[in-house]
Amino acid sequence: MSGSVRVARLWDGKRSNRRTMLRSMAFFAIAAHGLAACGISEAPQGDPGRPGGRAVNRVDESRLNFYNWTDYIAPDTISSFQAATGIKLTYDNFSSNDEMEAKIASGAAGYDLVVPSDNFLRRFVRGGLVRELDRDLIPNLVNLERRFVEADYDPGNRHSVPWAWGTTGLAYSKTALGDRVTGFSAFDLAEAQGRGMVLDEARDALAIGLLALGHDPNTGDAGQIDDATRYLLNLKKKLGQISSDVIEPLTSGQMVLAQAFSGDAFQARRANPAIAYTIPREGGLSYVDLLCIPKDAPHALNAHRFIDHILRPDVGAALSNAVRYGSPNAAAKPFIDKDLLSDPLVYPSAEVLARLPFIKDLGREVEARYADAWTKVKTG
Amino acid sequence: MLGPASVWLALFFLAPMALVAQYSFATRELGVLRVVLPWTTQAYRSVLDPAFLPIFGRTVLYAGLTTVICLMLGFPLAWFIARHSGRWRSVLIAAVLIPFWSSFLARIYAWKALLDDSGFLFTDGAVVLGLSYGFLPFMVLPLYVACERMDYRQVEASYDLGHGRLSTFWHVVLPGVAPGVLAGSLLVFVPAAGDFVTPKLLGGVDQSTFGSVIDDQFRGGNNWPLGSAMAVVLLGLVAIVLVARGKRGEDVL
Repeated sequence: MSGSVRVARLWDGKRSNRRTMLRSMAFFAIAAHGLAACGISEAPQGDPGRPGGRAVNRVDESRLNFYNWTDYIAPDTISSFQAATGIKLTYDNFSSNDEMEAKIASGAAGYDLVVPSDNFLRRFVRGGLVRELDRDLIPNLVNLERRFVEADYDPGNRHSVPWAWGTTGLAYSKTALGDRVTGFSAFDLAEAQGRGMVLDEARDALAIGLLALGHDPNTGDAGQIDDATRYLLNLKKKLGQISSDVIEPLTSGQMVLAQAFSGDAFQARRANPAIAYTIPREGGLSYVDLLCIPKDAPHALNAHRFIDHILRPDVGAALSNAVRYGSPNAAAKPFIDKDLLSDPLVYPSAEVLARLPFIKDLGREVEARYADAWTKVKTG
Repeated sequence: MLGPASVWLALFFLAPMALVAQYSFATRELGVLRVVLPWTTQAYRSVLDPAFLPIFGRTVLYAGLTTVICLMLGFPLAWFIARHSGRWRSVLIAAVLIPFWSSFLARIYAWKALLDDSGFLFTDGAVVLGLSYGFLPFMVLPLYVACERMDYRQVEASYDLGHGRLSTFWHVVLPGVAPGVLAGSLLVFVPAAGDFVTPKLLGGVDQSTFGSVIDDQFRGGNNWPLGSAMAVVLLGLVAIVLVARGKRGEDVL
């Protein structure tokens, strides 16, 4: 076993003297300087989305590289696209926004279409990672529901087209809590003590406090954010965990109540039928996953053709029927399964929808305020 | 001349550290860039916020308890393997190492399943248990080497000169294996203080450690400069511990 000891000795082999110290310090300084020159720059100013111009395929071939969430497509979406256009589609999957962002930010992933959530799309647009859409190539854009054209995350669909949308509400175990979960007061239920969880996302989690106190979840008011912070610090005493991985703890029964994305809640329900989902009486949030084209996409033209294809009423409906998410495609409604359309958790009524806003971009200063408030909740 | 060791050190240790250090002096940015100019010391002022003190204390407590538990479990094991295992010695050493062949994450999830209904999950105890389990081999191996190197005739001499068992342990065995104890303690304490996976998975809402707060600052994309500054501070503290280990620890580590 002396082998392992020798390995551990590597960095101790030569006693450091002043000269080696100086040498490594000099290296350190040079390395820091060199990295500073290429690593950190000024914050991008102004509007990063200059007109994208005509979309063309940089690489002239009949291919399309599509990067999407796992289990998030209809069985015939790809084949119908290939049949309609003759373009060969390569389909890859990711399971978190972080994972996908890492690939897109590196710039060389070679994907033509990716599907970030609205908060990540905003970051992509701010960082100039996605190209502006060539709207002339997407005549089916007229099929979109107004709500998704006017939405704050990308007004007028300059950079993105919605794929599917859901809501942020409460998932719970019917076995443990029955049907007593109607709002955030459910965290006070005796059976939920130490067995509730909140998403580990600053804006979503703080929205609980804001909504419970009757404030707008998109407020920029420092006082209201402070109130929400105090509310969450108090709520934290009743929680079991703060985490965005809700499916496993819910299905295993470790947790009985969780703030959750509707998509995750329905997935948990498939594994454990005792899991239910509700939109809290106080309100909630909407989220949407969006098709967008990375700036360096090799087949930008083909990507536009796919976007136009998915916006066809029949194709959009088939997608929604398969993944059981809300469809942003108004023209697809007649083709969507009746039981899906009538499910108030997938398609909430207009008045409920009014209490489910998208998360708005509140600008650097306010977003930083939310981030700091969340750090305070987690560390306090 | 830069020897191969220096190049290795520069490439895999100094360069990444330089990157972290310069991030810690940058300005946070909520876009894809994460850190931008101008340079600032804002992050260090945030680290010194008293709000982080309890987290720091908790981290040291977890790592300290883990070290003590590993020492108490590891010493008898190492002593037994070194002194009494005969031809089973290499098998036993392998048995200590084999769990390392499976993913740490999978083993922590296994603990999660084991503790599921105990009411123990998501407590301080669960975190210390997970850490002790994870870092025990780091304690056993240097202790084993120290036990093996120790001249057993000293123990016999101690008995001959009239010392009892306890007194022999205290005055002969312990000083004899001290370098191993020091090295093992460092190898356990340092990574236990920086670990963030175990507290995240086995801990509940009030089990965040320095490591998990650093992870939060990066992964939520919230504040890379603050995360970097915390990493630099943690590294500084570890460096102090390493310098303080003195000459004796160097014999084994």
